[in-house]
Parts: sequence; structure tokens; C-alpha cells
Amino acid sequence: MSNRTRLAKQRTVAATQRLLEIEPLLVKENDTVGAVMRRSAAQPETRLIGVVDDAGILVGVIPILRLAETVIAHVVPESLMGGIADVADVARFGHAVEARSAREAMMPPASIAPEATIGDAFKEMHRLRLSGLYVVDPAGRPTGYLDLLELAIQYLDAIEAEPAEAAD
Amino acid sequence: MDVTIAAVVFVLTYAVIATERLDKTLAALLGGLAMIVLGIIDQHDAFAAIDFNVIFLLAGMMILAGILRQTGFFQWVAIRSVKVAGGEPLRLLLVLSLIAAVLSAFLDNVTTVVLIAPVTLYIASVLRVSPVPFLISEILASNIGGTATLIGDPPNILIGSAAGLDFGQFLSNMAPPAVIIYLVFNVTLVLFFRHDLEVHAEVRDAVLALDESEVIADPALLRMSLVVIGLTLIGFLVHGALGFEPATIALLGATVLMVLSRADPEKVFHEVEWPTLFFFVGLFMLVEGIVHVGIIAALADGLFAATGGDQTITTLGLLWLSGIASGIVDNIPYTATMIPVVKQLAEEGLAIQPLWWALALGADLGGNATIIGASANVIVVNLAARAGHPIGFRQFLKYGSVVVLESLVIASVYLWVRYLM
Repeated sequence: MSNRTRLAKQRTVAATQRLLEIEPLLVKENDTVGAVMRRSAAQPETRLIGVVDDAGILVGVIPILRLAETVIAHVVPESLMGGIADVADVARFGHAVEARSAREAMMPPASIAPEATIGDAFKEMHRLRLSGLYVVDPAGRPTGYLDLLELAIQYLDAIEAEPAEAAD
Repeated sequence: MDVTIAAVVFVLTYAVIATERLDKTLAALLGGLAMIVLGIIDQHDAFAAIDFNVIFLLAGMMILAGILRQTGFFQWVAIRSVKVAGGEPLRLLLVLSLIAAVLSAFLDNVTTVVLIAPVTLYIASVLRVSPVPFLISEILASNIGGTATLIGDPPNILIGSAAGLDFGQFLSNMAPPAVIIYLVFNVTLVLFFRHDLEVHAEVRDAVLALDESEVIADPALLRMSLVVIGLTLIGFLVHGALGFEPATIALLGATVLMVLSRADPEKVFHEVEWPTLFFFVGLFMLVEGIVHVGIIAALADGLFAATGGDQTITTLGLLWLSGIASGIVDNIPYTATMIPVVKQLAEEGLAIQPLWWALALGADLGGNATIIGASANVIVVNLAARAGHPIGFRQFLKYGSVVVLESLVIASVYLWVRYLM
């Protein structure tokens, strides 16, 4: 098994998160889009915002692009209208233009367990087309955040180490 | 035995289409191919029954609409129109419905309603109301507007091709009742929704602040598209005199636009709704099967006997039958089935022109009754659900049934005054 394969199958999320010290950004369901935007601007390295309920359980996520579209849709909606070509685009625009709270802007929760491997984490991010995942405990409460960059750096280290290993 | 087999295949196919147990294109293709495999008709007869004038007219218009869609034209028209209407919500609803109706007369209803939906959703968001009244009004308006021309609704394309009726004939016979029905529809819309839409000061500001120039993604392509589509429409008006079928005009327009815009054919053809075209292919073969075994002739004989061969009763009966049936089943398979029935009725001695217009009016207008009555209805209901505003069957029926009833009454009077008095 090559180094990179071993990495994907054995290195856990818990061992990888915080590599770049990207902290979770959690907001409440009833927080306004504006309030969420301001908090996001204060913590720009976190590209996926977590939405939690009163019990602190992750109930949704908001990618930064989606958040920005929501704000733009309220101010200059016509800038988003030009690229609309089909029903899916219209539905996305509709969500953006109507969302006024975190609950209305969010997507379903995107999370991973700390004991999952980084291979599993990448598959999940790829499936959901997200650049991050929230690390949650068994109850669904966020305990950390894993960014796609942290995964990529792990793999990069493994790739760069391989020629040296082969020479050895 | 062949009659039984053909009837069973036909009824089963319709049932599957109506109940959506299987994708309708697959159902139609299976039904049509079953007619061949079971020996009702051979491949030669089946393929000869495919009206390629319809297929390529649809394909040509899909290509033109697909290219125009990229330019932001529909959103520009919608924004421009709502700015002219100002901030009064009921007026906004009427304007958006008018846009849907006019555009649907020349481009397919689905494209029209889907692409003015963004402005609709924005207006509703500013009003803090559900977009459902707007979306329902636009669907109903698009089906009425599509009635007016040869290319406005798929049933018209089917009838025009089968009957040899050109764009000008459709316009002169179908536009008048469509306009009258639309004017009455406006009054109905006001009665439906006048209490649901209140004036908000911020709506006026939000509407007037919209900048329609921002939605134009490609001004050069827009200009080119409008010129070519305009010439194509002129081509439709004169195609009879030129000796060309509408499909030639549509394909020529589409090809010229692709050449001028240097479009990648692979990308453009990707936008063509191939499932819709193959749906028609399947239907043509399916209907040919029941024509071949004599079911259509028997049906026509039965209708003739039931009406005593009376022109007025048959014409108005066909209008109402088509109107009711089209609300229950998709109006495209209904129309495809009734075309040979009408031809047979004409062979029995009835004047055919009133029958064609009755079928067209009934099939087009009846599609407004229910969510499943027309393709545009299904698409927009899907869009509304995905945007978080589901439209229920009964909710739609409440409005659609009233609009269909008034439309068919007006159409009855029109047919009687123009063709039957």
C-alpha cells in the first residue's frame, strides 16, 4: 500500500483537523443573514458556517458563497439573474432572495465523526461539493472543523515524500 | 385480436403516462415500440407516422429559445415591464402575466415561465408574500397566450402540421379568441387575488431600483438572436407562400443563429429537450397503431352517431371534450390521438376547419385546469416546490377550473359566431 493510500485509509479526522487552526464558526438558527455575514467577515478562513439549534446540535451549514449570494440577492438581485438558465438555477435564486435568517439560508448539515478517516472526509466533501465539514460528537454537537485545505496538505506531504522513499 | 392488443397497449400507455408510474417519454416509446413488436404495424409504417415537421419545428424553436435564454433577455423584459408597472402589486401581477402570455405565443411556455420566475420570486420576496399567486397567474397566462399562434403550444404544432394550417391561418383564427379570453382572465385574476396583495411603500422603491441592463449577459448575442428570431417569425408568416413547411423555417433560423453566433453545436444540442422530442416520436407510433386497426375510425363513427352528424353539436362537443380531457391527461397525447379522429369525422361529411379550431382551443385551454394538464404547469409546480413554495393539486384546481370554464364558454361563443351560425 502506498503512502498516500495508507494516509487516506488510516489517518483520522481527529488527527488532521486544526492543522491550519481553522476554527468552527457557529451561528444560531434565528440569527439574521446580516449578523451571520458580519461574523463570517471577522473569521474569513472558515468557509463553511455551522448552524446550531438551542441544544447546540448542528442542524445545517451555510457555504460562504451561498451566504454572499443571499446578501447580494437582496441588494442587487439582477446581478444573479443573468446567469439563470434552468429550474435548478431559479430555485437556488429563490432561496437566496427569500432567506432572511440562518435557518432559511442553510443547507442540510454536513458533518463527520472524529474517528472517520480523511479518505471518508474527502468523499463526503466531494459528494456535497463543500470545502469543509463539521466534526461532531455522537449527539451531533460540533467539536471541530475540518477544511479541505487541511486534507489537501496532508496528501501533498505524502505525494512529495514518495520519490524520496522510492530512492531509499 | 389485433384490435384488442392495440387497444390494451394504447390504454396501458396512457394510464402509465397519466399516473406517472414511469417517465412519460419512456412510456410513450415503449407503447409505440410495442405496436411494432406485437405486429400491429411494421417499422416502416411506424416511422412513416412520425411527423418530422413537428419534431424539427420543436427542435428548431428549442435551439432558438436556448440561445436566447443565455442572453438574459427574458429577465430583461420582466424587469423592464415591472418598472413600467411601478410598485403596485396587483398591477405587477397583471404585467408579469401579460409578459408570460405574449412571450408564450412565440416561444415555449416552459422557457418563458421559468425564466421570468426570478423576477417573480424577487417581487414576492419584497412584498413578503408567497410567490404562488404570481406563479399560478403566469402559468395560466402562458397557456392562454400560447393558444394564439401555431408555435405557441405543442397541440397547435401537432394540429397545424397534420391539417396543413400555416402560421397566418392560426394567427387569424386563434388570436382573436385568445385575446378575448385573456382580457376576461385579467378580470378573474383581480377577483382572485385583490385581497392577497397589498401595497407596500418599499416595493415601489425596490422595483424601481432594479437595473435591467445588469441581466444582459451578452448584448451582441442578444441583438443577433432577436434579429434572427424576428426573421424566423416573418418566415412563419410567409412560409405558405414560399412553399416551405414551418420546420424548415425553424431549423433554418436555428442554424443561421448558431453559425452567426459561432455556437458550439454540442453545447447547443445539449440544451434541446430530447426527451420531449422522443415523447412525440413514441406518441406518433402509438397512435398509428390504433389508427391502423380501425379503433380511431370506430371512435369517430361513434362520435358522429352520438352527435347525429350535426356540425354545431360535434364542434362544440369536441371543444368541451378536449377542454375537459386536457385537464385530466397531458394535452399532447390527447391531441395526437384526436387528430385522426377529426380527419375521420371530416370524411363523414363534416366541415373540418371548425373542428380543427375546436380541438386546438379545447386542448390548449383545457391544459389550465390541473397541475398535470400541461407540461409548463408541471415544470413550474416543480420549480415552486424546489424554491420552498409547494403548490397543491387542489389549490391549483381552484383557480384553473374557473379559468378553463370561462375560457371554454368564450371559445364556444366564438366558434359559434365565426363558423357555425
